[in-house]
Amino acid sequence: MGDKQLPEKTPLDRKTSDYTMSGFKRDWNGNAKRRDGPKPAQRQVVRNAYTPMFEQLRNELDEHHDRRERIVKASRDITALSKKMTLTLCIVISVRNIESQLPANIQAEVDSRLAEIAKLLAAIAPEIQGINRYRYSRSLMCLEELVEALTFAHYLKTQTLISHDQLSPIVEELARQGAASEDEVMTDARDTPATPPKPRQAEAPKVSLTQDDYLYGVFDLTGEMMRFATTSTALTGTMASGVTGDGDDTPRTIVQDMHELGSFFEMLPVVPGNRFAWEKKLDITRQSVQKVERLGYDRIIRGSERPKGWLPDLSSADQGQSEELE
Amino acid sequence: MAPPMIDPALFDQLKSNIEEDTSVRKALDQILDDLNQHVSFTQGVLSRIHSTPRSKYAALLEQVEGGIKKEIETVGKLSAFASQYPYYKYNHKWTRMVQDAISTALLCSWLGGMSTESKPGEIGRLLTLEDVGSVFGIPVNLKDRDAFHITIEEYLLGLISVIDELGRLSVNSVTLGDNAMAVQISGFVKDLHAGFQVLNLKNDILRKRVDSIKYAVKKVEDVVYDLSLRNLIPAQDSK
Repeated sequence: MGDKQLPEKTPLDRKTSDYTMSGFKRDWNGNAKRRDGPKPAQRQVVRNAYTPMFEQLRNELDEHHDRRERIVKASRDITALSKKMTLTLCIVISVRNIESQLPANIQAEVDSRLAEIAKLLAAIAPEIQGINRYRYSRSLMCLEELVEALTFAHYLKTQTLISHDQLSPIVEELARQGAASEDEVMTDARDTPATPPKPRQAEAPKVSLTQDDYLYGVFDLTGEMMRFATTSTALTGTMASGVTGDGDDTPRTIVQDMHELGSFFEMLPVVPGNRFAWEKKLDITRQSVQKVERLGYDRIIRGSERPKGWLPDLSSADQGQSEELE
Repeated sequence: MAPPMIDPALFDQLKSNIEEDTSVRKALDQILDDLNQHVSFTQGVLSRIHSTPRSKYAALLEQVEGGIKKEIETVGKLSAFASQYPYYKYNHKWTRMVQDAISTALLCSWLGGMSTESKPGEIGRLLTLEDVGSVFGIPVNLKDRDAFHITIEEYLLGLISVIDELGRLSVNSVTLGDNAMAVQISGFVKDLHAGFQVLNLKNDILRKRVDSIKYAVKKVEDVVYDLSLRNLIPAQDSK
């Protein structure tokens, strides 16, 4: 009796052990690799009362992972486009002061980037409606880069910080414009809301801008302003400032703007939930403010020197600088 | 003087939003402290299954069900409060505790508790995701609206905790002389392991936890091997 039991049990154990020991190879996506020969049949045999439940759960999880991957891909593209836009604004605009209109060629390039971003936003907008908006927040870091680019462009035109309430409709309009396939030409995002939206466009899903997207984007703006201050001072010899029509007022310089922005973040309460990231951004902002302060100090000290016997150079650039020197 | 760079109204608005966010988190912390206590108590009672013979499960499960009832009440409060805000904005605060609560309910029902009119309690009964939702009175796997719910990941992670616990129970049940229980646990754990192989896992917390199931499988297989080697497998089960 006892001897009979052992042989009956052993084959089953061995079979299960073989199944367990073989394991599953996975490709880079994490999916189990297909096998040739008898092993697929072996896998198919292993069905039990719980398999239908797991198959249903698998379908749900696959849907979630696929959606997340689509969002991540679009997010990377939007991040790259936003960085290019910011780079265009920072490098090319450095030779002039802050004015209400960007040069035509710069505006055209900014508009083309925005058009591409609009299409990408429109593509992922249906995926991030309702409960999914916060589910994929970590996959939508691109919105911080977009906020950085848009706030920087706004600052270069107006020397003011655009608010979250003003920026949200712009981002939502971008998604709507991207959804309107017949409208391939993208006008300036700020001008577009003035035109009445078409009824069909109003139905397009929005891409909402969370407050965290806005705040971390403005943190990054301080870095861009520091870079802008550095390059514009190096190229023009003066601190960037606004142009004021009233002769009596002294134009506000970028140093004062950096001070105001730095104080703004110092006074805000720490955003809960991700305290470490906030402290890190705040520290970097402090460094940017100090760099621009140093820039202003150096210009005052060194810029005012007039060594004895100094003779002006005859080249046009130097003449321009001498005119601007106080 | 030119107007300031930053509108003062913007600062006031952001400050009040951040402060509201902080107060929401503090309120959640209070509810979750309560939930944590109830879950810990229930887990503590369940830990006695490792020293309780099967014949005395009924009295033990009665206490476990008492703890689970308190969990259900607290999860109800959490659901009412959390449904006012986007689910995924704060779900990282409670997801671990909800997993643990789910695992206590799953383990209790597997041991024969949580019986209802339509489904009598018996050893080896596994609650599905929908069953867990009805136990807690919470919707599951919500898609069409944004409210508090039990996610698939929470259910699966809770289930993995149960597998680990059953691996331990198979050892202790043999110590208590209940060899049939060890055999039943072995079959159940291996079936679930096969079920988890159906999933297409990505590199996330779920995959890490699923990888640990194979150690529980090995554990229960070793127990059954030791029993069969010594001819201790109950006769009726081997037929």
